[in-house]
Amino acid sequence: MRTPLSSGLAAASLGLLIAGLAVRSWQVILLALPPVIVLALGSLFPPARPRLVAVRTLSRDRAEAGRDVEVKLVVRNEGPPLDLVEIVDVLPREFAVIHGTNHAVVSLERGGTIPLSYTARSPVKGDFRIGPVRARSLDPLALGAEDATLPIEARLVLAPAMEDLRRTKLQPRRTRPWYGQVASRQIGAGTDFWGVREYTAGDEVRRINWKASARLDRLFTNEYEGERSGDVVIVVDARRESFIGTETDNPIEHGVRAALGIAEHVLASKNRVGLIVQREVLDWVPPAFGRKQLYRILDHLTHVRPGGEWPFAHVAWVLSRFFPRDCLIVLISPLQDRAALNAVIAMEARGYDVAIVSPSPLAIEWRLGEQRPEDQTAYRILRMERDNLISQLRRVSQVVDWDPATPLALALRRIGTWPRPA
Amino acid sequence: MASTRLIPVALRAAPGVTLALLVGWATLDVYAIGEPRWSAALFTVLSIGVVAETLSVVLHWRGIRAIGLIAIGGGYVGAHALVLGVQLVPALVFLSLLISQVELRILGERFAPLYEAGLGPDERTRIHGALGRAVLRLIISAVLSVVVPILAADLAVAGIVPATTIPTAIALAGALVAVVALLALLPSLKRPAV
Repeated sequence: MRTPLSSGLAAASLGLLIAGLAVRSWQVILLALPPVIVLALGSLFPPARPRLVAVRTLSRDRAEAGRDVEVKLVVRNEGPPLDLVEIVDVLPREFAVIHGTNHAVVSLERGGTIPLSYTARSPVKGDFRIGPVRARSLDPLALGAEDATLPIEARLVLAPAMEDLRRTKLQPRRTRPWYGQVASRQIGAGTDFWGVREYTAGDEVRRINWKASARLDRLFTNEYEGERSGDVVIVVDARRESFIGTETDNPIEHGVRAALGIAEHVLASKNRVGLIVQREVLDWVPPAFGRKQLYRILDHLTHVRPGGEWPFAHVAWVLSRFFPRDCLIVLISPLQDRAALNAVIAMEARGYDVAIVSPSPLAIEWRLGEQRPEDQTAYRILRMERDNLISQLRRVSQVVDWDPATPLALALRRIGTWPRPA
Repeated sequence: MASTRLIPVALRAAPGVTLALLVGWATLDVYAIGEPRWSAALFTVLSIGVVAETLSVVLHWRGIRAIGLIAIGGGYVGAHALVLGVQLVPALVFLSLLISQVELRILGERFAPLYEAGLGPDERTRIHGALGRAVLRLIISAVLSVVVPILAADLAVAGIVPATTIPTAIALAGALVAVVALLALLPSLKRPAV
């Protein structure tokens, strides 16, 4: 491989040659020889082509974003001795090396090994590939180099961090026939007292209301409000226009975090949860119960990247075709376009309950900006526009205007039971 | 062990010392020019070179390092080619020193961190060997860079090769272009590494 120095020497030689011809001086022409001699000697002793084998191990192949991952790499030389070889374990650009190094310059004999050990961290979630290993056999005088790529890659899945929503009262308003934890406003198996009726044969003895029976001289039985489960569909708006801020601090990343927290909380309350993500493709997870469903949702959320220009009407179409009608829709969107208002009104008209969690892009931009006087004016105007949109949306749905710098649980707790009972 | 500690210090210091020598040499030659117009112009070129080299070291701004060396070399060659007249042996030594300065800097950048990081006995032997071979090659190329052109000049002056004529100079130029082109194309013609 040509190096900058060899190119520079060739250029210097040509330059001196042309200068010598221009000034008609044979001495200057002879000055063109030294760079050529150095180049010729360099080509007589080219660096050996690296023939290496590498083995990489990771401390974990799944982790939470922001967690440290230890990587161990052992490279073995199976070719000729290498005077000087530069080895680098290529990391995705999102990663930073915290301890150790993923890069080394060493001298390797035949059969010699070099261990590399380092700790890497990515603040961004995603499905990453670590590798390949690149090696460059160097001429110590930088007149040539030989490159080799070892195609070993390791998969590392970094899941988004989860919001803690344990104390939030987040549940669907409409219920389904399955047992759950949502008061159904129907008589059934539950713990909340509903009413009293006359005893009929077959009623459990422990349900007999002895006080009422004694007073009225007939047997009466207590009735309880049935606790059922409902359906929640989380819609994450990850369109390109929703990306505002940095790679780690933007409404989409915060929205994904919120979606995972809400899904975990709702599933833990024995409800079904489904997911729709608006990104380059419109992907969705049909509603289901349980831990496996949480992992399914987590897997889809891990791959969320900003992209796509889907109008909201497509989400409404998917909802009407593939998701149950009486579900609670939790729309997680920075509400960058006013089309959201019409879409939410249309969904309410079709019988869906809609609740909106809106990670505020204004709060993110304000934190990242310089906060000059003119920025303050612009901020106030944009704030008014956003407040106006949110107040219009609040006529048809519950809206949480969330500054992602604060915990989501706090924003949800401020508005009490969520969504509002009818 | 003492030698192991001295090697990185020497490797780090060598390019700086060589550069100071080159700048001093070029400055003295430019100072010897009587004509103020040429002198001022060439001093400016040298100053640009020195400033660029200083900035590249202080600000770790590698992009301007080549500009600095070209300016220093250009100042020297310009002074001799345009005003003072080219004296072949000192010019060849200057050019060889200039190339050696670059090579020494590269050696320092590559080997000094290895020594400073601490080496095991086996590794130290291998690195010593690699550094020794590199230094030997550097010395041989520096000597040949001076000796071969002097021999060529001697042959030309002795009349064996009439190098002082324009047609011979053009033929020599053609041969050099061919060699440079061959050296430049050689890596591209090789099979890529697997």
